[in-house]
Amino acid sequence: MHATRLTLVTATLISAVIFLGMTIDSLRQMRTRTHADQISQEVIAGKRLWQHYDCNDCHTILGIGGYYAPDVTKSYSIRGEAWLRQFLKDPARIYPAGRQMPNFHLEDSQVGALVVYLRWVSEIDTNGWPPDPQGMARQEPVGHRIFLAQHCNTCHAIGGTGGTLAPDLTHIGSQKDKDWILAQINNPRSHKLDSIMPSFAQLPETDKQGLADYLVSLK
Amino acid sequence: MADELDTDIYSVRLARFQLWILLTAGVTAIVGYLFHWSFGMPFLEQPIIIKLVIVIAALIFLYNIAMTMFTNHHTLTRTTATLMGGMVMLSVMFLFGIPFVPNLSTQYYWWWWVIHLWVEGAWELIAASLVAWSLIKLTGVSRKTVEGWVFAEVALVLLTGIIGTGHHYYWIGTPHYWLVWGAIFSAAEPIPIVMMLVDAVRDLLKARTLPIVNTLGLAWLGASAFVHFMGAGVWGFGQTLPQINRWTHGTQITASHGHFAFWGAYGMLAIALMYAILPEISGRKPNGKQALSFAAFMSLNFSMIFMVMALLIAGIVQVYLQRVMGMDFLEVQSHLRIWFEVRLVAGCLFTVGCGLLLWDLFRLAARQPAAAVAGEPVPVPAI
Ligand code: HEM
Ligand code: HEM
Ligand SMILES: [Fe+2]
Repeated sequence: MHATRLTLVTATLISAVIFLGMTIDSLRQMRTRTHADQISQEVIAGKRLWQHYDCNDCHTILGIGGYYAPDVTKSYSIRGEAWLRQFLKDPARIYPAGRQMPNFHLEDSQVGALVVYLRWVSEIDTNGWPPDPQGMARQEPVGHRIFLAQHCNTCHAIGGTGGTLAPDLTHIGSQKDKDWILAQINNPRSHKLDSIMPSFAQLPETDKQGLADYLVSLK
Repeated sequence: MADELDTDIYSVRLARFQLWILLTAGVTAIVGYLFHWSFGMPFLEQPIIIKLVIVIAALIFLYNIAMTMFTNHHTLTRTTATLMGGMVMLSVMFLFGIPFVPNLSTQYYWWWWVIHLWVEGAWELIAASLVAWSLIKLTGVSRKTVEGWVFAEVALVLLTGIIGTGHHYYWIGTPHYWLVWGAIFSAAEPIPIVMMLVDAVRDLLKARTLPIVNTLGLAWLGASAFVHFMGAGVWGFGQTLPQINRWTHGTQITASHGHFAFWGAYGMLAIALMYAILPEISGRKPNGKQALSFAAFMSLNFSMIFMVMALLIAGIVQVYLQRVMGMDFLEVQSHLRIWFEVRLVAGCLFTVGCGLLLWDLFRLAARQPAAAVAGEPVPVPAI
């Protein structure tokens, strides 16, 4: 009994020492894995805002936090800078339906800091988390993935799923041609002066093409 | 501590003072949340100034119980040593959650030293000690039997739990080797938890032949050991390997496990302790209105398990639709609605259970009516 206890105590102490050693090594490796040299004053300001507004209360980041709103670890790389800027400035405007994020009435400089912060976060090496989906996203046309990623479906429905705030797009391909659709994506007011649809001109050209190709295919 | 050492607490005035500090800090923090006064980190939302006040309260507490212990060290038991060890570890770990760290990954690295090393380290020690104390007190089984495994459990909790912190270092910007170390060590964490369950069951079975007075305390104690095992040992193990955690990390499955483990290991234990201690303070018979106690026990446990199951199902659906199929977060949430409604119902029932429990506890805590009327102490019958 005594020998067992001694073994256990020794093993515990050794494990604590190993843990401290791994901590030192981790902190060293994390400098490169997180690009710590890119933590500018603006990134730090963004983190302070993130904590000040208690964003982590609803959102997870690196998978930790509230489960009420989406994980923001990769928001920057999924949505892009322009989308994020518009969204943070007025969440309801760009994302009108469903569960809504409060409008914090941020100043432009604050939005800027948050976006820079989220860009830095999106570049952290997370060992491949979150995992790439294995299912439908992979088999679907590229355009449909962009359609979902940009949340077009909160307002527009296709084939019975999606929002009702804006016209149903199930047969849009038999009503409009690709040029018309591209113009609508770039500047919704080119067709209707008081359109509430946000412009997606900021999307990369390939995404806009993919989206338009997909939509014209919906006959 | 005082009861174990069969002595008085070192300074009752200091203890009172500490209670007031802690109460003020706690109430201020919670009222502050309503006005968005927050540090902005999950679980450790208290603004830094309040955390510092909590540290002061902890120092007073440590000083007070350490002095109680050292002035009576000739009667030092395994139970008290474990309790003291847990308390010191708890206080030290808290310090790592205080500073603002510019690097998010590093901030979370230290944050887990509080969250994980509390629930799977320091608190387990405190729980092991409190369970041993209650078992000795309530069952009449010998100290030698009850305490037999305590040190082995403590050593195993620390041996597995410290490096087991690595199960939170898979995806937060930390090196890849944690996927191996975290998995191996955290997968062994259920071992000491199983030992604690075996301990409790063995002592409760032994106690069947002894005259038992406080069945309520024992019922909560036994149930706690079981739910502790299910929530932490089974639910925790279920998502601790990186191959699984990669998909389940930060979903409703996490919430299911968090509730199950917290409730079993610490919530139910705290209730068991109240049932163990209150009759002694008030001088009432521990088992009075059985129906009320039974209703509180059943409603709380039934609703909690109901919610945990709803969250588990919601979590599985979420992992499948969102992580495997790639459906958008908010769209998935709309498919989970029914399970959140189940949770709401469970939560309402749980609230009712809390009311019943409070009623039952206040009943037990009320002093004998004669004393209240006459306003003078009545000799307290020994239990
Ligand atoms: C049946 C009654 C209860 C209901 C309805 C309930 C509801 C909730 C809700 C809505 C959340 C937020 C989850 C999110 O971020 O989306 C939560 C989180 C949490 N609750 Fe409860 N709760 C209950 C009882 C308890 C009890 C008794 C405990 C402790 C013993 C507890 C501990 C926690 C913890 C630790 C979290 C954070 C979980 C995590 O981040 O994974 N809850 N609960
Ligand atoms: C009584 C003991 C325990 C309590 C109170 C507890 C509580 C919790 C809570 C509240 C969380 C959520 C943290 C967050 O918000 O991200 C969590 C996460 C976790 N726990 Fe436990 N736990 C206990 C024991 C265990 C054990 C023994 C294991 C493994 C065998 C375990 C494995 C995990 C894992 C893998 C996660 C991370 C889940 C994720 O990636 O989202 N837990 N625990
Ligand atoms: Fe953990």
